[in-house]
Amino acid sequence: MELLIDRVSKQYKNRIAVDRVSLRLTEGVHGLLGENGAGKTTLMRMLCGILTPTGGTISFDGADVGEEAYRARLGYLPQDFGYYPEFRADDFLRYLSALKGIPKKQAKEKAAELLELVSLSDAAHKKIKTFSGGMKQRLGIAQALLNDPDLLILDEPTAGLDPGERVRFRDLIEQLGKHSIVLLSTHIVSDIEHIADQVLMMKDGQIIYQGKWDEKRGDLETFYLEQFKKQQSGMKREAQQ
Amino acid sequence: MKQFKIIYLYEIKKITGKRLFWITLALFLLLTVVTIIMQLLGKSYVDGEVLDTHYHMFLVDREYETALSGRAIDQNLLTETMDAYRTIPNPKDRYILTEEYQKNARPYSAIYQLIARWYDTPSLEDLLHLDVGENSFYKARLAFLKEEWQDSFLTVEEQNFWLEKETQALTPYIYYYHKGYATLCKTFNTFAVLIPLFIAVCLSGVFAEEHVKRTDQLLLSAVNGKNTVYLAKILAGITVSVCSCVLMVLTATLFSLGIFGAEGFGMQVQATLYPFSYPMSIGESCLILGVMALFVSILMSVLVMFLSETLRNSAAALSVCTGCIILTSMVSMPPQYRVLSQIWDSLPFTFLERTHVFDLRTIPLFGHCFVSWQIVPVLYLICSAGIALLGRRIYRNYQVSGR
Repeated sequence: MELLIDRVSKQYKNRIAVDRVSLRLTEGVHGLLGENGAGKTTLMRMLCGILTPTGGTISFDGADVGEEAYRARLGYLPQDFGYYPEFRADDFLRYLSALKGIPKKQAKEKAAELLELVSLSDAAHKKIKTFSGGMKQRLGIAQALLNDPDLLILDEPTAGLDPGERVRFRDLIEQLGKHSIVLLSTHIVSDIEHIADQVLMMKDGQIIYQGKWDEKRGDLETFYLEQFKKQQSGMKREAQQ
Repeated sequence: MKQFKIIYLYEIKKITGKRLFWITLALFLLLTVVTIIMQLLGKSYVDGEVLDTHYHMFLVDREYETALSGRAIDQNLLTETMDAYRTIPNPKDRYILTEEYQKNARPYSAIYQLIARWYDTPSLEDLLHLDVGENSFYKARLAFLKEEWQDSFLTVEEQNFWLEKETQALTPYIYYYHKGYATLCKTFNTFAVLIPLFIAVCLSGVFAEEHVKRTDQLLLSAVNGKNTVYLAKILAGITVSVCSCVLMVLTATLFSLGIFGAEGFGMQVQATLYPFSYPMSIGESCLILGVMALFVSILMSVLVMFLSETLRNSAAALSVCTGCIILTSMVSMPPQYRVLSQIWDSLPFTFLERTHVFDLRTIPLFGHCFVSWQIVPVLYLICSAGIALLGRRIYRNYQVSGR
C-alpha cells in the first residue's frame, strides 16, 4: 500500500500553509514533527479529504482523496477531537461505525473490543460529558480504529494522556504500523522517538527533513532542534546572497 | 440501507436528546392549551359591572346554539330571529343587559351575527329597519362577497370562479353548533407563529453544532459522512418537526373538541362568518389546516437546517427565522401589489393563518383557478427539495480550516 502526496499546497490569502509537499509513504509509522503553525494539521486535513488543496494531488493505492474508496480505508483522529456530550461511549462508537460503513453486528463487537483496548470498558455506558480529558482522547483513538484503517492519520493523539497511557498508546501505534500506514503528528519528540520508522520534520509549510531514525544516531530532540537551526541558517545565507 | 437507518435514528437522538427540545415542546403545548381555554376564563364586564363569567356565557350560548342545530337558515328562522330582536326596548343602548335580550334575542344570537355580517350593518337599530327574509339574506351575502372580491383585487376570472363555487352551495344553509371547530380553526392563527418558531428553536443547531463541537471533521472524513449523513439529518429534522406539529395539532383538537364539543363537523363553511365560498364543511376546513401544518413543518425544517449549515451558527439561524416570523406577523403587504402580497402570505412563517390558507386570491395555472391550499403544498415540496439540494452542496464542500 502507498500514500502518494504529490506537490500538495494550501494557500490562503495572506500565507502559504503547506508549500509543495511531496511524499511517498508505505506501511509503517511516520512521525511528523513541527512547531505550532508549521502546517501539520493543514496537511493532515488535506490527507483526510476535509480540506481541498490549492494545488497537487493526494491518492492512496490509486484512489483519489475525494473518492469514497479512499475514505473507506481511512481512520482519523483530529487535533481538536469533537464529541456529542449526551451520547454514551458505546453509542458514539456505534454511530461512527455506521458512518464508516461497518455493519451493525460487527460494529457492536468492534466497539466493545476497542473500548477494552483503550481501557474504557467500564465507562461504555456512561455519557461522554462525564469523561475526563484523557478518557475522551482514548475514545477518540478508539473511533479512529473502528474500520481497521489501512491509513491512520493521528493529529497530536497523545494530548491529554498521562505517561502510562502514552506508553500504551505508543505500543499500540507500533503494532498498527506493521500493517498500516500511520502518520502521527506531534511536537512532543518522545511520542515518536522509539516507534517511528520515518521522521518528517515540517516548518513553514515545507518538509525540511525526511528520513529514517534510529537510536544509534543519538537523541532525536537534539537532532530536531539542529535541523531547525540549519534551516534558519540556510535561509539567512540565501537572503545575504 | 441499515447503516442509513442507524445514522438517521442517531440524528433524531441528537435533536431530541437536548433538554431544550423537551422544554420548548412542553411550553408550546401548554401555550396551545392556554390559547384554547383562555376564552373560558375571567368575566365579562359592562360599564364596570360584572355581566357574567365567560364560562357561564359559553354554557348558555352552547345551549341556545345547540337548540338551533339542524335548522335551515330560511324565512322561518330569519323571521323568528328578527322578531326576537324586535322585542328589545331600546336598540340604540347597550341592549345585552336587558331582560328582553337575554330571554328572547340571545337564543338567536348566532343567526343574528350572520345577518349583521352579510347585511354589513353592525347596528341593530339599522337592521331592524331592513326587510330581512330568505331571498334578501342570500342576496345580501352575495353582495357582501362581491365587495370582498373587489377589495381583494380579484380578477374577473377569479370572481367568476368564486361565483360558480357559491352557486354550488346548497341553500338554505343548515346551521349547526360548531364552536369546537371554530375554536380549532382560530387556534391555527396561533400555530402560524408557534410551529415555525418551534422548528427554528429545535433545528437551528442540527448542522451548526457539528461545526461548533468540531465533530464535522469526523463526519466529513467518513465514507458515509457526506451524502448519507446529510440526507439522514434532513430526514431526521423533518421527522421531528412533523411529529411535533402533529402532537400540537392533536392537542389543540383534543382540547377544542373536548371542551367545546365535536358537533357540527359537516356544517357548510358558508354558514360561518368567514366569507369563503368553496364547497366544504367546517370540519373539512380544519382537516385542511392540519394538513397544511404538515407541509409548513416540512419546508420550515428544511429552511432552518439550510440556515444552520450556511451560517454555521445556531443563534444566527434562529435569529433569522425569528426575525422573519415577527416581520410577517407584523407587516402585511398591500393587496394592490397582488403577486408580492400573495407570496408574502404564502411564506411558511405566516401561512397557517386561516385567511392565508383559505385566501380568496387564486393561483391561475393551465387555464384553471387553484386555491392556496391546493397549490402551496406543491410549491413547498418543490422549494424544500431545491433548498435541500443547495444545502447538500454547501455541506459536502465545507472546508475545515481556520481552527
